[in-house]
Amino acid sequence: MMISDTLERLKSGLLDLDMDTAVDAARSIAETGDTHAIKDAVDTVTNALQTVGKRFQDGDWFLTELVYASEISKEIMNILSPLMETRALESAGTIVVGTVAGDLHDLGKNIFINYARSAGFRVIDLGVDVSVQKFITAVKEYKPFALGMSCLLTSTDKEIQKVIQQLNEQNIRDRVKVIIGGAALTEEFSRSVGADAFAPDAVTGTDIVKKWSAA
Amino acid sequence: MDFRERILAAVSHEEPDRVPVMGLIMDPATVSKTLGKKPANFTGMLRKPLLRNMIPGLMNVNWFWNRFYYGNTAGALESAIKLGFDANWTIYYLFQLRKDTRSTTGWAWHDAYGRLWEMGVDEDSGMTVNYSRALCETEEQWESWIEQKSNLFETLIRNVADFHKKLVDDYGNRIMPIGFATPGIFENSWQPIGFVNFTKFIFQKPDFVKRVISFYTDLYIKNLEAVMKSGVEVVFGGDDFGHKTGPMLRPELIERFFGESYRRVTDLVHSRKRKYIHHSCGNIYQLLDRFIDWGFDGIVTLEPTAGMELGKVREQVGHKLVLIGNLDVAYLLVRGTRDEVEMAVRKAIKDAARGGGYILSSSHSHPLVDPTRLKWMVEAAHKYGKYPINI
Repeated sequence: MMISDTLERLKSGLLDLDMDTAVDAARSIAETGDTHAIKDAVDTVTNALQTVGKRFQDGDWFLTELVYASEISKEIMNILSPLMETRALESAGTIVVGTVAGDLHDLGKNIFINYARSAGFRVIDLGVDVSVQKFITAVKEYKPFALGMSCLLTSTDKEIQKVIQQLNEQNIRDRVKVIIGGAALTEEFSRSVGADAFAPDAVTGTDIVKKWSAA
Repeated sequence: MDFRERILAAVSHEEPDRVPVMGLIMDPATVSKTLGKKPANFTGMLRKPLLRNMIPGLMNVNWFWNRFYYGNTAGALESAIKLGFDANWTIYYLFQLRKDTRSTTGWAWHDAYGRLWEMGVDEDSGMTVNYSRALCETEEQWESWIEQKSNLFETLIRNVADFHKKLVDDYGNRIMPIGFATPGIFENSWQPIGFVNFTKFIFQKPDFVKRVISFYTDLYIKNLEAVMKSGVEVVFGGDDFGHKTGPMLRPELIERFFGESYRRVTDLVHSRKRKYIHHSCGNIYQLLDRFIDWGFDGIVTLEPTAGMELGKVREQVGHKLVLIGNLDVAYLLVRGTRDEVEMAVRKAIKDAARGGGYILSSSHSHPLVDPTRLKWMVEAAHKYGKYPINI
């Protein structure tokens, strides 16, 4: 079978939410050991995920489909990533992400991480219940161009403000763009605490960091 | 009209004397502030050596748990009465305290269904509890769980009946307790398994998903029957079908997996001459017509932070659904000015209350919801909510 056919199977497997077909195609490509084909496969996944994101934003797809497409892409990348050339692994930039202190919800954050990684970003996941100090230390250590904070609970949204205040007090606010998302948050809240952007969903969040990275 | 007549008129789409006001879960922090009590520092107690050994032993004994839990709910109803609410929902959970190395406190609550709830601490050292993760991540774990917990499910149903009955007996002459059967069938199907796993199973193991849903539907029906035994005249059920921007599942999938279950629910409730009001967080515009088709009598919460607008909902559903809620808890009922609260109440009444079928309430509860703002909400309802509505 031609590589182009296998790439087509990879794409249709992902867009038809057919895990077996997508994983089988990824394995076939991996077995060739052809670095160009592997690079093309990764590009195919990236482009397919953009289609997934658009379908979600247009309301044609729903959260379960977004999550499952993300899981399929994760399986594919587990097969392809170890075979990629170092040069191909160079990222589009680093993003630090975490759920704020007192909040243990991570579904939206994890979907964002999958999509951002598939878009070529290096994502440092600090996990859940992340303290202000841990966010600040990570910004200093990893020097990301973007910091993402997730918050599901209204009762913990003040943590976002504390992190931004600390970034200001430590004179590192201008080094990093701040994007926030989560059920408890709104555009108005984002403006009031001085974040750079609010993302109502993981796909929009990925679009925003892509724009920042390209600027 | 008294509180009961007011609520019953509203849920029958008749105009009561004034727009009724109700409370939702009532976070313990809001209850403590309303009643002027200092909350118990539960997580602090768990750090003390002597208590650390004693508390779990007590909490995991059925009669002690019921007494402890009833006390909290009774406090919520006292608080609702003090605030001037006509009704408040009453909800029963059966938790067991377990050591948990992944939790920040070293402890977590496990519920009977296979869900783990993390404990946190609010600003006043009171305990907060939130669903955090699944305890049955595989098909085998789930099967094993429901087999092991069969006795606990029976205990749970007995407890539900006793709990709601006692609340109606103790408080029914001062406020209308609205029995809430929880957790809903959708939540209870995915939360013990986890959302990512549940999603995978929908696509990879749909028959397993159907078995899970069927099991929890039967349990939910028993739960509802237990709630109704208490004599409550309006029953709430709850399932968060929505997230920030839309339904969590494709509406056709929701119909395929949950339609029959919810038709059974409404058939049962209606056969007992009661109303079934459904709670769902999130953006649920796309599901409202389906809810009507399933036989729901009303919908509660209508979260403004997820884009739910009362006027738009009323325009979509007319008087086929009773609407409850929509007052913002992200800003308005936490830090809003008196004028802002008054204007929001006025707008809600204007948008949804003509012809009855609207009950004013917050759109959710959390520790920062301020009793003073809730009181302003009630006062504004009395000011603008007299029928006939003339604003």
